[in-house]
This record gives sequence, structure tokens and C-alpha cells, in this order.
Amino acid sequence: MVDLYFVGVDVGSLSTDVSIIDHSGKVLSEIVIPTGVNGSEAAEEAFDSALKLADLSREGITAITATGYGRASVTFATGKTTEISCHGVGAHQLFPRTGTVIDIGGQDSKVIQIDSRGRMLDFTMNDKCAAGTGRFLEVMANRLELDLDELSSPANIEGESAPISSTCTVFAESEVISLLAKNTPREEIVHGLQRSIVNRIWSMVTSIGIEGEVTLTGGVAHNRGLVTLLEEKLGLTLNIPENPQTVGALGGAHIARRAYQRSLEPATN
Amino acid sequence: MIIPDRSEYLKALAQSGQKIMGVLPALYPREILWAFDIHAAEIWDPPGELLHANAHLQTTICPIVKKSLEFILKEPDIINAGYLFPHTCDSLQNLGTQVKDLIGVSLPVYTFYNPKGSFNNTTTKYYQDILKNFQSTLEASYGPLDPEKLLAACVLSHNIDSHLLAIQLARMTDHLSLNNLEYFKLMRAQEYLLPTDYLSLLEQVDILDQPSETPRARLMVSGILPPTSEILEFLDELGVSIVADDLLAVSRRIPKFPMDVPVSPLDYLTDRFFILPSCSTRGGDLDERLHHLSKLMNASQAQGMLFNMVKFCEPELFDHRLLVKTLREKSIPVLTLETELESHISGQDKTRIEAFTELLFEMVSP
Ligand code: SF4
Repeated sequence: MVDLYFVGVDVGSLSTDVSIIDHSGKVLSEIVIPTGVNGSEAAEEAFDSALKLADLSREGITAITATGYGRASVTFATGKTTEISCHGVGAHQLFPRTGTVIDIGGQDSKVIQIDSRGRMLDFTMNDKCAAGTGRFLEVMANRLELDLDELSSPANIEGESAPISSTCTVFAESEVISLLAKNTPREEIVHGLQRSIVNRIWSMVTSIGIEGEVTLTGGVAHNRGLVTLLEEKLGLTLNIPENPQTVGALGGAHIARRAYQRSLEPATN
Repeated sequence: MIIPDRSEYLKALAQSGQKIMGVLPALYPREILWAFDIHAAEIWDPPGELLHANAHLQTTICPIVKKSLEFILKEPDIINAGYLFPHTCDSLQNLGTQVKDLIGVSLPVYTFYNPKGSFNNTTTKYYQDILKNFQSTLEASYGPLDPEKLLAACVLSHNIDSHLLAIQLARMTDHLSLNNLEYFKLMRAQEYLLPTDYLSLLEQVDILDQPSETPRARLMVSGILPPTSEILEFLDELGVSIVADDLLAVSRRIPKFPMDVPVSPLDYLTDRFFILPSCSTRGGDLDERLHHLSKLMNASQAQGMLFNMVKFCEPELFDHRLLVKTLREKSIPVLTLETELESHISGQDKTRIEAFTELLFEMVSP
């Protein structure tokens, strides 16, 4: 059998991720790089790196799905699909019993319900604001002079939590400034910020409900403090992928594979 | 079929000496205005930036009210016979009072208080009383109303409705070769064309003998106004057709079924009002509205519902939650977009729409 390779390229606001799979769905390589100011260049660079890692060339690729907010800038893609569908399919591939996907991305968050085949049934997206997203954490990490790893330390979830009442990033940042001025311990502020994101996600989850297992995707899934709080709030254990940032790209690669298989169907009839 | 541009058409009409009244949304007895030779130019979403209106209104007032006030404050020379404020919602009613008492526009300001609630003896009597009052108010300025002219206006209105009903049906069954943008341009042209011109336009609409190509997905839309042109074009690009609507600006102003040719204007106007589809702005019964929506969805085979919500629209938001819940319980996919009547579609909304259509396509694919 001729070797068939499928690629998903997810151009997000913060990172560009590429996943390459073979005809059986086996992952051959995955890459995450910062998107920077040019989504198109980031896609090219990430694609080349992923090819190199998998020891493949562009000519050997069968189909490519572009996804993410910069999907239109991926000129070498053979198809494009929204990140919402891609995250559903990606989560299903990793955890087949997933019924609900929570994706906390760089500039938006989504809750997606999928069926037993990974097909999207319903979704909701946060509204026109960075609250409850990766960007929110980035802004706050900057303000607190912590790096993102420090912001996710599980030690931070112990003890008191400072009240952060604003759901708006700009107002929440002012609250953080006031708390710092009052010498509130940074751990408490971090805890308060994580709680604020969790509350935001919670309201989205309740608007469409939870079905089946819940898989958390997006870079924020690395934040162990936030994951613990979210699990506590939802009363369940979340599926956390090994590479939560590449789930959309992985879903894209599987969608490319599925589209290719479908394109063959009439010929085999 | 060429649909004249709204502002050019109205300018030319005003220059020709036509009496033109600016009418705010949504339900009013257009036939009475026509019988007085007054043209109703409806003001829903006038273009232009908000510069002065914000100084008079709270931030939580809907953009239709804000944009209307901005338009009125500019004292457009196309409006020469005054403004009519139907009681569609509290915000519009307040605007009517404000414009008259506080802002002091130079043209006359009229109000029309539609009955809330469904058809019964009290609402019927009330509606007939306000029709008569409205007529008397206009008579005070324009002289006695000619009953023959009122009957002729009702017949014209009946004729327009009959065409619109046929076009709606053709849309639901793919017997119309208009894309989303063309369809809603046609439906909304009644907001500014003279009724005779609008009727001629409707007469030109080609209803096909055979269904045209089936769209990739079929959608129904609910709310106050259709989605913006950019969204309609985007849906066209994606191969999604809006096959039915529950929009205040469109279908909620068309009787649910054909009526007999008018004989008595008062009875005709009353019957017509009460057989309009149920609407949040009339305090209609929600079960009745749900029933109507599911009938439309079945008839048009729509696979999903798009709620195009005007931000801060209280009457619509009041019903929206329960409508969404009920549709979801029936496994009907629902997408809600919120609009401030901006002309550009945000990247997030584009993704929402695209993801929603992917969901619909998955439903129809094997
Ligand atoms: S959009 Fe809603 S709140 Fe605004 S004028 Fe219309 S009915 Fe009233």
C-alpha cells in the first residue's frame, strides 16, 4: 500500500501547531511554535519542522487541513475546518469516550459536545473578551512578574484565595494591581485568578451541559492549579492529553484523513 | 429584478413632493397612512455612526433605538410628515416621549399603542378603538379620510400579503432562485418602497415550476432583523440557505395564512393584526410561538435555528432562553449571534457560523 500522510495545521493566536499522522491514524510528529505576527509564516515554519521530525517531504503528504483563527492564511492546505470541529475530533481520537470538550485557547474558550464518533453536536464560545482564556493568564502572569509555569504550580492552589470579581481582563488586571498594592501574597492572587477563569468556564459549561467524559484541551490544560480547581467545580476527573496544545491540529489531520477516505468512496462503489 | 437603493429612492420621492412619515418598528396600520396619501418610510437600522444619540440614552438601550434617534436628530429632509412610534417595546415608547417632549423635533410625533396579548374581545375592541383614534388624529391635520381610499389601501395591502405568502412558500420549498442576500433585500424593500412599487416588484419575482438545486444545509432565522449583508453573503458562500424566518422585520409582519379580500376596512385591519405570527413584542403566548416555529421548521425542512439577537433587546431576550432550551431538547442545533448592527462580521462570529454549518453538514452527510 502507498504510504499516506495527513496533516493538521492549527494557527492560533498564541501558538501554531502541526500534527502529522499516517493512514492508520498513528501520530508521526507534533510541533508547537509561537505564532508571532505572521500566521502564514508560522504555518510554513511549523509544517517544515514537523515534516523534518517525521522524516517526510511536502510531496509525500496526501491532504492537509488548516484550522484555527488563522486557517485562511495557510495557503498550502487542501481544506479548512474550524477549530471547534477539529478539537472535537482530536479529543475523540485521544479519549474515545469523550462527550464534552473544554478548550481554553489563547484568545477564546469553547465548550463542545460531541457524539460517539467525535462529530460535533453543540458548542458555545466565550464572548468578545479575553476573560477565561490563555491571554487572560498571560496578562496576569506579566503583571505578577511570574512565568506561566509559576502561575500553574500546584502549590498555588493551597490556602487562601484573593477575591477577583471582574470577568473582564482589563478590570481584573486593575484588581490585581490593587491587591498587590495591599501586599496580598501572590499565591492568593494566583489562586483567585484561577478561580475566576474556572467560574467563567463553568458558566459556559452549564449553558450547554456535560455529556460523557470531559477532555480539556489547549495550552491552559498545563496549568495544574487550574485543572484541579476545574475538576473540583465540575465534580469529575478531566481527561488531560499529553500534548493538549496539539489536539486541534491532530483533529485537523484526522479530518483530512476522513475527507480523503470519503473522496474514494464513490470510486469503490 | 432591480431593487432601488433605499436612500436614493426616498430622496427622489421627497423631492417629488410626496408626504413621507418616518415610522419606527414594527407594527402599525400602514393602510390608514396610505389612505391619507402618506408614505411610510420605516426606520430600523439607518446607517451611520452614533455621535449624538448616546448623550440622550442609557448605554443599555438597544442599537435600533440609538440609531433611530441619531437619524432623527440629523433632521433628514426625506421625512416631512412626522414620526410614528408604535409601542413595540418600552425603549421605543420612551424614545417617542423623549423625541416629543425633551428633544423637541420640529415635525409632529405620533404614537400607536398596539394591544399586548392574544385575540379576545377586550384586545379586539381596544385595537379597533386605537385604529379609530389614529384615524381621527390624522384627520385633524389632513382632513376627513375617504372611506373608498381606505378600502383601496386594504385591498393593496391584501395583494402584497398574498404575494409575500407565495414567495415565502416558494422559499421554503426551494422554488425561488434568489440567494440569501437577494431574498432579504426583496423582503425588506417593503420598508421604503411605495406600496404600488413594492407590489410591482413582487409581481416580477420568478417562482420556479421545479425546485432549484437543494442547498447544502437549510437554516431558519429568528430575531428582529435578518443577519447583516456580510453574514448573508458568507452563508451563501458556505452553501447554507435561510429557508424560513421568524423575524420581526419580515415574517412576523405577514399574516400566517391567506385572508379574504377586504370588504370592511376595520374588520380587515383587526383580523390581519390578530393573525400575524406570535411575537415577543406583543406579549404573545410562548407556546403558540413555539408551535409556529416548529411548523415553519417542518415545512421548510430547516435543520437548525439561527437566533440573530439585537443586543439589549428586552422582549426578544425574554423569550430567547426558553426557545433555545426547547429546541435543544428536540435536538435541533441552535446558534445565537448577538448584533449591535455593526456592518462587519467579527472573526469569532465567522468561526461560530462556520462551525455551526459544519455541524449542519455533518447532519446531512452519510
Ligand atoms: S430591538 Fe428590541 S428593544 Fe430594540 S426597538 Fe426593537 S423590540 Fe425594542
